[in-house]
Amino acid sequence: MLPEVIKEEVCYACGTEPSMVNKTGEWRFLTPERADRLSPCRQGCLLDGEIPAWMEAVKQEKWEEAWQIMSQYNPFPALTGYVCFHPCTEDCNRGQLDQEIDIPSVERAVGQWRLDNYRPAAVKPQSVKGSVAIVGSGPAGMSCAYYLNKGGYKVTVFEREKVVGGMFALGIPEYRLPRKVLQKELALLEDEGIRFITGCNIGTDIPLTELYADFDEVFLAPGAWKPRISGIKGEDSRGVWNALDFLKRLNSGEDTAIADPVVVIGGGNAAVDSARSALRLSGVNHVSLIYRRSRAEMPAGQVEVEAAEHEGVELICNALPREIAAEGQAVNSIIFDHCKTNLEGLVIDQSRSFRKFCGTVIMALGQERDYSLFGFLDNPAAFFAGGDLVSGPATVPEAISAGRIAALAIKARIEGLPDPELLKAEQSPVKFEELNLEAKGNLQLQDKQAVPFAEASRCLGCGTCNSCGICYLFCPDMAVDFVDGRYELNMDYCKGCGICFRECPSRALVMEGGK
Amino acid sequence: MRIEEMNREPEMLYAGHNACPGCGAALAVRYLTKALGANLALVLTASCWSIITGMPPLTALKCPILHCPFPSAGSVGSGVRRGLNVKGMHDTTVVVLAGDGGTFDIGLQALSGAAQRNEDYIFVCYDNEAYMNTGMQTSSATPFGARTNTAPYPLFKEGQKKDIMRIMAAHSVPYAATATVAFPEDLENKLKKAQEIRGFRFIHILSPCPPGWGTESSDTIHLSRLAVSTGFFPLYEIINGVSWKMTCQPEGKRTPLKDYLSSQRRFKQMEDIRVDALQEEVDHDWEMLMERIAASKGCE
Repeated sequence: MLPEVIKEEVCYACGTEPSMVNKTGEWRFLTPERADRLSPCRQGCLLDGEIPAWMEAVKQEKWEEAWQIMSQYNPFPALTGYVCFHPCTEDCNRGQLDQEIDIPSVERAVGQWRLDNYRPAAVKPQSVKGSVAIVGSGPAGMSCAYYLNKGGYKVTVFEREKVVGGMFALGIPEYRLPRKVLQKELALLEDEGIRFITGCNIGTDIPLTELYADFDEVFLAPGAWKPRISGIKGEDSRGVWNALDFLKRLNSGEDTAIADPVVVIGGGNAAVDSARSALRLSGVNHVSLIYRRSRAEMPAGQVEVEAAEHEGVELICNALPREIAAEGQAVNSIIFDHCKTNLEGLVIDQSRSFRKFCGTVIMALGQERDYSLFGFLDNPAAFFAGGDLVSGPATVPEAISAGRIAALAIKARIEGLPDPELLKAEQSPVKFEELNLEAKGNLQLQDKQAVPFAEASRCLGCGTCNSCGICYLFCPDMAVDFVDGRYELNMDYCKGCGICFRECPSRALVMEGGK
Repeated sequence: MRIEEMNREPEMLYAGHNACPGCGAALAVRYLTKALGANLALVLTASCWSIITGMPPLTALKCPILHCPFPSAGSVGSGVRRGLNVKGMHDTTVVVLAGDGGTFDIGLQALSGAAQRNEDYIFVCYDNEAYMNTGMQTSSATPFGARTNTAPYPLFKEGQKKDIMRIMAAHSVPYAATATVAFPEDLENKLKKAQEIRGFRFIHILSPCPPGWGTESSDTIHLSRLAVSTGFFPLYEIINGVSWKMTCQPEGKRTPLKDYLSSQRRFKQMEDIRVDALQEEVDHDWEMLMERIAASKGCE
């Protein structure tokens, strides 16, 4: 019996039939297989996102699929697209060819698609697997809530401030994250059934033990909001602000009239955010950002520092504040000492000190974790916590990742499953030299594109199939099928010549011995 | 043409054909049939392709095939064309497919006759540079210095490869072009262009042959690309035998020929003096080609 597809093509006049009855796959002694190797962007990604995979979906304009892939590791691409510093783009192999892929713009586009096309699940799960309380509605809390809710849990989030979002809402300035996007994202979470309770301080308003009694599990993600105190003289003068207080008041729309000129002390993201925000206030003409170490040692994202300088923030490095001088009660000037780092730490040179006159000082010396919550715990070994509370002040993607991992662990605990395996095999990412760009002429590589899906089509897909079509183009044996927008190897006819393996630009194939 | 568009063109070749793994000829005919479409009649002379397409009742192609004796490819093509014309099937494209033996040596007189009469069909020579089907015997398309089964070690092919393109140009055929499998877009464009032209058209396709050349089957495309970038097999077209034009020139300087020779077992143990001689020959041919191209500018 001939297969249907062949039967149709048998010549009615002479009975000639296609050679497809000849299964040439039997000749094979080497077999090409998909390799799925680590790409440099995925290695750089703090969320461990499968960047080449969703890039490929975007390239084909399969937005739903891109969202499905992305949300496995990052449920808030619309937010991270704005606030993340995107270490993924740093090692992008495409940069060695012409210019790195603009990953943030594609990520935002997927996030925007999600916000525009969101539909609540038609059928909500009937049985609820359990209830979880989350303390803190910042990136870690939101992420944990999203994954638990999706897994069929009833989630309640307790927030001590009046607004939901934590660092998203109160720490990050509006120019870095449009509040409309955040509002929409939070509305989706509520729509999916997550309950947010604001203005409720766990430990004082509700005892923590009560949460443990009322819920199956509790996830602690209150962040690290306690400012570090420098202890220098005059720190309590009027006109001296703490950076997070300043940002918090600014972001909640409270009065933040400050006197010109402004000096921001610190080199982290809070310092740069404060400096750029201050410069945007009316009545402020001059902002200086003063950091004790060298510029290269600044912990803030380089893009942000450059943007601040571009906007007119004066950057002074290697200067340590000695004393804040006040005139009456209000701050008047600061005395700085020259300072540099060597192997022993900071070396202060008082002979090269200078005085900086100012009307406002914003101290951004970092935050500390507040462990007072733990005092309420009976058994401190058996709770779930994440985000800045665990890692110390870190980035948004790290907090989102912590929330995801916590959700996995909480699910495993409630359902009595073994702890999830989080450690992955060590792999070295695909290097630029490994990519095969001989077929460059066939691929017709484009320059930087403004439209997201066109930009995504520039992705070389290091180690991941990005459906470039080279294997199909060069297969002499018609052993590559094109099914539903993707290329698949057809082992019935593959003779194992290895052309697809040799020519694959992404190095997404390996040759294995045998059939 | 984007690679996606090229991959979406309907395929005329069936899977399950009898070509060796990594066959350049199978790939060449796959592109050829894709470019020319379904209204196609193929004349096959004795060559690898008589084996690749399979024994009746099996066939690897979705178009009618007529097998013919070795020296008669050019004449049978003429006959098929005239027969179809009598039946009123003017729009059917006739393609004569021959290997390098059926073109350069055994089929040369019939080819020359048909070209001289300006018969209305496309003659395609897929050139794997020896009689590969019968066991790798030297043909006049075998390059200087290569070893074949009729020129085993310590012998080697003496004399240079016959310049079939200049022979065709001397017949003043309306269209003649070279192509190779690493540049499928160029190959398809040339065939589509040839299809639009009436009269005798000649396409010379370099098709790497892994068993015959002694290469890894996976290197087919790589070698085909190297043949172009070294200048060993430049891609050009000749219109009316006078207007020469480069179609797919590699960027920058030409790669040294050694890169192309070193991965092929047929050139193994080739002494440096012979490599240099072959390099000189390639350089000379390249310069002559450039001169002809420069001279034909403005006479299009």
